[in-house]
Amino acid sequence: MTLRSLLAIAALLVGINTANAFPVGAPEGPYKDPGITDTEIVIGLFGPESGPLRNFGFDAMGAAQMWYDMINKTGGIWGRKIRLVIDDDRCDPTALNAVIRKLVTVDKVFLLNGGSCTAAVVAGQEYVTREKVPLIMLNAAGDGALFPPTRYVFGAFGGTQLTVGGTLVDFVAKELKAKKIAYLGSDDDFGAANLAAGKFMAKKHGVEFVAVERVPRNLVDLTAPMLRIRQANPDAVIITTYPQSATLAMQKVSEFQLAMPIVAAVQAVPNPASLVKTVGNLAAFKNFYYGSPLNDLTDGPRQKWVIDMYKRAFPDRKPTAFMAYGLPSAQAVTYALMLAGPNPTRESFVDAMSHLHFVTGVMAGPIEFGPDRRDGHNASIFIKFDGTKSTRMPGVYVNEFRGK
Amino acid sequence: MGLVAQAVASGIVTGAIYALIALSLVILYKSTGAVNFAGGDVVMTACYIALLVLVGFGLPYWLAALAAIAGLFVIGAGFDRLVIARIVRQRHAHNSLVALVIATIGLSDLLKGSVRLFGYTDNVQTLPPQFTGPPLFLGNVILLRQDVGIVGVTCVVMLLLYAFFRFTRLGKGLRATADNPRAAVLIGIPVQRMRMLVWAIACGLGAIAGLLVAPKILMTPDMGVIVILAFAAAVIGGFTNIPGVIVGGFMLGIIENLVGIFISTAAIAVAPFIVIMAVLLLRPQGLFGGNPTFRKV
Amino acid sequence: MSERWVLAALGVLALGALAVPLPIYALYVANLLLMYAVLAIGLDVLLGLAGQFAFAHIAFYGIGVYTAGILGNRLGLPFPLPLLAGAILAAAVAFLIAIPALRLHSIYLALSTYAFAAAAQWVFHSWDSVTGGADGLRLAPTRFFAWHIIDDRDAYPVLLGIAIVTIALRLGLQRSKLGRGMAAMRESEPVALASGIDVRRVKILAFTISGFYGGVAGGMLPLFQSYVHPDSLGLEALVVILTMVVVGGLGSVGGVLIGVVVMGLLPELLRDAAVYRELIYGAILILAVTLMPRGIAGLILRAGK
Repeated sequence: MTLRSLLAIAALLVGINTANAFPVGAPEGPYKDPGITDTEIVIGLFGPESGPLRNFGFDAMGAAQMWYDMINKTGGIWGRKIRLVIDDDRCDPTALNAVIRKLVTVDKVFLLNGGSCTAAVVAGQEYVTREKVPLIMLNAAGDGALFPPTRYVFGAFGGTQLTVGGTLVDFVAKELKAKKIAYLGSDDDFGAANLAAGKFMAKKHGVEFVAVERVPRNLVDLTAPMLRIRQANPDAVIITTYPQSATLAMQKVSEFQLAMPIVAAVQAVPNPASLVKTVGNLAAFKNFYYGSPLNDLTDGPRQKWVIDMYKRAFPDRKPTAFMAYGLPSAQAVTYALMLAGPNPTRESFVDAMSHLHFVTGVMAGPIEFGPDRRDGHNASIFIKFDGTKSTRMPGVYVNEFRGK
Repeated sequence: MGLVAQAVASGIVTGAIYALIALSLVILYKSTGAVNFAGGDVVMTACYIALLVLVGFGLPYWLAALAAIAGLFVIGAGFDRLVIARIVRQRHAHNSLVALVIATIGLSDLLKGSVRLFGYTDNVQTLPPQFTGPPLFLGNVILLRQDVGIVGVTCVVMLLLYAFFRFTRLGKGLRATADNPRAAVLIGIPVQRMRMLVWAIACGLGAIAGLLVAPKILMTPDMGVIVILAFAAAVIGGFTNIPGVIVGGFMLGIIENLVGIFISTAAIAVAPFIVIMAVLLLRPQGLFGGNPTFRKV
Repeated sequence: MSERWVLAALGVLALGALAVPLPIYALYVANLLLMYAVLAIGLDVLLGLAGQFAFAHIAFYGIGVYTAGILGNRLGLPFPLPLLAGAILAAAVAFLIAIPALRLHSIYLALSTYAFAAAAQWVFHSWDSVTGGADGLRLAPTRFFAWHIIDDRDAYPVLLGIAIVTIALRLGLQRSKLGRGMAAMRESEPVALASGIDVRRVKILAFTISGFYGGVAGGMLPLFQSYVHPDSLGLEALVVILTMVVVGGLGSVGGVLIGVVVMGLLPELLRDAAVYRELIYGAILILAVTLMPRGIAGLILRAGK
């Protein structure tokens, strides 16, 4: 290759880029914002389609997709169909940053709907705030990006980790009448958030944390923390770790024959049946409960319409743990678009979002935003699981801790 | 006091797991000079092959186990034949260590990526334990039968490997090849074939490790990260010393648990790295490594 | 085609991007590539030029990011002070670990430096009060007195300038006496020692320079990103940089830069094949080391540079 041919290629590339500088897809006609025409609204939907954290979000993306499909089939919003541009953030902060930049500047979406992992979503907050693009999280807890609230970022449709920690302790104190609680959580931002909320509610109830064990995600031997928990002699144990650690902990519960109630957070038990199979000992589940932000058991009567809708949309797939959480997010987007009127702008959409207060038919509590509130959902139910049967415990628990 | 006893006992079990995986790394290094960063993912792949046969095809356990071991045999031999052989043939001996490491990192990604495609990865999985029955009690210390089985099998494998390298012709031939490949060729040792055999055996050993430890540490596609703990065990013992690896493993498992009890659970994560650095700093040949002879690369 | 043409071509493209209004997404990708270029060249100093099989590079990068970020956040220091501070601190740490590393070779060096990198990541993750811990660290926009670097368009010229300076320094190093000493040491330590090269001094300098580069690359991150999380400072990231260097060509500046461009653009090309990403990545690594032992540089550059 000669220098001349190299210069020719360079000139060609520069030429192509110059053409790109005047893109064809610029905002059309009377519309101030990109991603909206007379006939369509473009939404950037993103989450982990691949990678180790795929299970936390790919099905929630599916649920959002099926909701938007239904809206399109029933006429769209103010006569406009929703067109999705779907991308993969792998639940990774760097990838998410690239994805949102691409969706906003190349695909020119009207708004962003995505994010299943808190650390990744927090990374994108500054960009969407600077570019004034609404970001409606999917099923990420999103604590770091919602407290303190900022104008353009909405989330926590499944509850934040504050919700998780606060309602767990609330349940353990009120229903199980425990006075001494042992805590097993992860050593990351999730754990920090749910522990803070848990401690707040503990103080409110006059209940004491007798053991606090925070474990790294990859730890395969939980002997040390479980021994310390056993030694502290708690009335109840709460587990807020990720599934692998939770399963290992339940193995220890089985080994050490711990008899006190164990209450697990929703992220620890995505699939109760699989958990029992893996632990292999029903006796460990004599006194086992887990929390859920849904309004019923996954196979309960109130969730039936969601499962049916999923089966129609994805006949070859079976719903997985966090699927339903994608629904309230998509619902919020469509309701806010409806409320923003026949000629929405990004700003009027955000204003509409800020006043949303609706019942989802799928979550334990309503979705509620406010001028200073960006975490939408704050409630949890609890389920007793004896290894074979799940029974819903009475009551809906609402978290009261809103951060420091 | 009961706390420490249980911590030590459980630490020995976990340490045996590290040692079992480390043995697969060590025999590979001892025979071929290759360091297998995919050593943990090899274990993981074997577990998922067994799971597929057991749950996916509904076949009996012994068939699943056989499939896992045979499958890894083939993967190991194939990797050597298609990849390692090519790298070894390249001229720059210095680069070959880097190339070998990159190749095993590539293997790691390849294995993880493949397993993730085949399903069963939505939930944490397990395999049936080989040793079942009520747990054993030594005083206040609780041990599962599978725990004892793991320690027992590890010791047996260690003895077999030690005897193999020390007393059998094949074993001695492998050691000779590792020490001086060119001389080995000159005296007629079929170096290529033996290296392929070693890769097959090392991966097969990883499969056995997987079948044993899956019920204990559970299966996820990322469980291969345990390989760094296996490296730590090998480093403590002296990388080429087979009995040393076992002792290194036990020590690492016990240290982790004691750190967890007396310092904090959060500190457990960093303990193996501190141990690796400390051992390599103060006594690079490990506890039992003898004179630190480094491979001429 | 020789290295000079490769560098010239890349230079023309990079400078051309200044003159033409590119889509801002392209500039974001370009900024990432510039940062990776400095990072990869730094790793190559140790791995390719000096032949030291050390894996601690991602720790130097992390030190650079957090130092620059914290100084920018808390003290509001203007550019380029935070970046220089981060680079100097990273170089100092590299110097400190070089001394014990003198005694270690090949796989032992690799293992111990990898352990150091993993321990460093644990520190980033656990030292809440300083690094923000598992919540990550928000990075304030970089200031140059009255001017704020806000978006990718502002950042690109600055990052390009930093990259050009560091590449020029590396080319200078390669031709200098020190650089030739490193190359000799890489080929054969005993022979280098016998020909009068102070191997210990050369090794320590190689580590220190590599650490400096890693710290500079870390200081580049706050210029165009607003957040860093310790999860992105571990083994995965190290493998990404290692691949760029090896696929590009150990020891060759032009090769490494091509490796950065190719491997850096790969995620963009694989966007549609998201679930196959890991698989494809592994296959590329294996193919690269078996079919292109000297990297892309070995393929397209003349054998004698």
